[in-house]
Amino acid sequence: MKPLMLQGHTRAITQIKYNREGDLLFSCAKDTKPCVWYAINGERLGTYNGHNGAVWALDIDWQTTKVLTAAADNSARLWDCETGKQLFQWDTNNAVRACGFSYSGDMIMFCTDRQMGYNPSLDIYDIRAGEQLANNAPLLSIPIEGPKVTSAVWGGLDEYIITGHESGEFSQFDVKSGERVRNVRVHSKQINDIQLNKDRTMFVSASKDTNAMLFDADSLDHLKTYKTERPVNSAAISPRMDHVVLGGGQEAMQVTTTSTRIGKFDARFFHLIFEEEFGRVKGHFGPINSVAFHPDGKSYSSGGEDGYVRVHTFDPQYFEFEFEF
Amino acid sequence: MPSVEPDNKPSWADQVEDLDEDVDDVPTTSGSSKVDALLTISDEELPPPEEVIDGDTKIITEYSINDEGKKVKIIRTYRVETRKASKTIARRKAWPKFGDSEYDGPGPNPSTTAICDDIFMTFVTNKEEALNDKEEDPMAKLKGTRIVQCRICKGDHWTTKCPYKDTLGPIQEELEKSDKPGEAAAGAKGGEQAAAARPAGGKYVPPSLRGANRGPGESMAQRRDDQATIRVTNLSEDTRESDLQELFRPFGAISRIYLAKDKVTHQSKGFAFINFHRREDAARAITGVNGFGYDNLILNVEWARPSNQQ
Repeated sequence: MKPLMLQGHTRAITQIKYNREGDLLFSCAKDTKPCVWYAINGERLGTYNGHNGAVWALDIDWQTTKVLTAAADNSARLWDCETGKQLFQWDTNNAVRACGFSYSGDMIMFCTDRQMGYNPSLDIYDIRAGEQLANNAPLLSIPIEGPKVTSAVWGGLDEYIITGHESGEFSQFDVKSGERVRNVRVHSKQINDIQLNKDRTMFVSASKDTNAMLFDADSLDHLKTYKTERPVNSAAISPRMDHVVLGGGQEAMQVTTTSTRIGKFDARFFHLIFEEEFGRVKGHFGPINSVAFHPDGKSYSSGGEDGYVRVHTFDPQYFEFEFEF
Repeated sequence: MPSVEPDNKPSWADQVEDLDEDVDDVPTTSGSSKVDALLTISDEELPPPEEVIDGDTKIITEYSINDEGKKVKIIRTYRVETRKASKTIARRKAWPKFGDSEYDGPGPNPSTTAICDDIFMTFVTNKEEALNDKEEDPMAKLKGTRIVQCRICKGDHWTTKCPYKDTLGPIQEELEKSDKPGEAAAGAKGGEQAAAARPAGGKYVPPSLRGANRGPGESMAQRRDDQATIRVTNLSEDTRESDLQELFRPFGAISRIYLAKDKVTHQSKGFAFINFHRREDAARAITGVNGFGYDNLILNVEWARPSNQQ
């Protein structure tokens, strides 16, 4: 395969995401301008200019009309996807670490960090309700006790939000009552990423404890473990095959002080059920920070600490490959 | 911008598969100075960019002037692909660019989009994986071996971190002090002893340096006492060992004479080593023979340097 290399960012990529149909690829980085690209040929459609700090996360609604970004400049912003104009800005006390649209696209949530004496919180807004935005009064604001949230997704048909924490635990918050419904701790270190599968019944987590794990989204039952020997920054489930792709590598700050082997930065493919690795793809010059499967499962993208996004279209060998068992 | 055609939307920008860049240097003047070349270019009009669409390929030819003042012809070849897409996707394809890409032309901008070299997914089996892991961790290899040795308790840690530093340390220091005079007396053989005392932990020590347990690699020369050896240079080619014997016999008992000879002609190379039994004899030989005229040549006699330093 000949990957497309997208060089729109000047700093490390933090998250990449496809829209629902997979024709657009969104990327955000530790620089201030999230980008949107045509996934098919790597042409940049535009940038969302306005943030003043690293952008930690982004999300797109199902119709690809709005983009939500979470940034370290103490704001979360809502953008018009087509024109790149800012629609709204939420000012917070702390950096915003994670954000997401509900499945319906009507509600949004974002999580703030613990900094400067402010406790982290999980805020939910209904973006149809003008008064909530005007008064900066969230539909629900859930204070987070304990370790801060590092990754969060909506789950269960918008009934709850799954959060991954700095300590390695997962929580499930009821969107109506704001209560913590479930709490499990299987990972021993920080959760770096949570990604749901296509039908949103399971999710795969990526953790600093060098493992990625598969969980049931409803019950938070631990199903599978994908073991590596380095921190996992991101993991995604293929919508087409029983495959999981893991991106990771050493922590960025340790790259210059440990092994010189460059191969630590490849994307690794595991079988979803048998938990065994079957393939690797090289290419990045630094740890991979985010991976995403195209919704048709025929290509995937990865964004790395080196600031590049690489769009890979699978060769026929990938589809012909049969896992031996 | 391509117009919105819901079902069948041809757009050359849909897919870029091969993008070749041919850079052709076209020097405008030959043999003249650089300034001339620059002037000629500023007068000359650059040809307008060409765009040729031939079936499913599109070739764009552009001309520009590079930093060296040379005209450069860039040929880009694109493959045009038509894909069927849903209405929403087709509509999004027609969106105008915005933000930092606002002024980009249609199609991918080469400054933000590049095509990488061909790479392949490497399929791995679990066995290979296990092997790779073993190979790739150099720190694991070092784990079994000792890197540091404590001077106090010979443990596997730095001397400063020794748990017996306060108890054993001072005792050893005292012991060392009492050993010192003896050591100075044995100073002559100090070098060899030091080599023998070197800890064998991990590091390769050639057989010749392995102190007490000298292996089969030992050579005769090593046991020889180099202290009473002299080197004689500037000998004539006709010199033979018997001549040297005659010359040096008066100074004392000689244990060995080595005359360097050419392998083929068996003629002297012009230098020799004489081993005396006693150092004093050797010293007298130096003072006696150095500068001595022998066979029309003036001999040069001095202490031989130990053979391993030569």
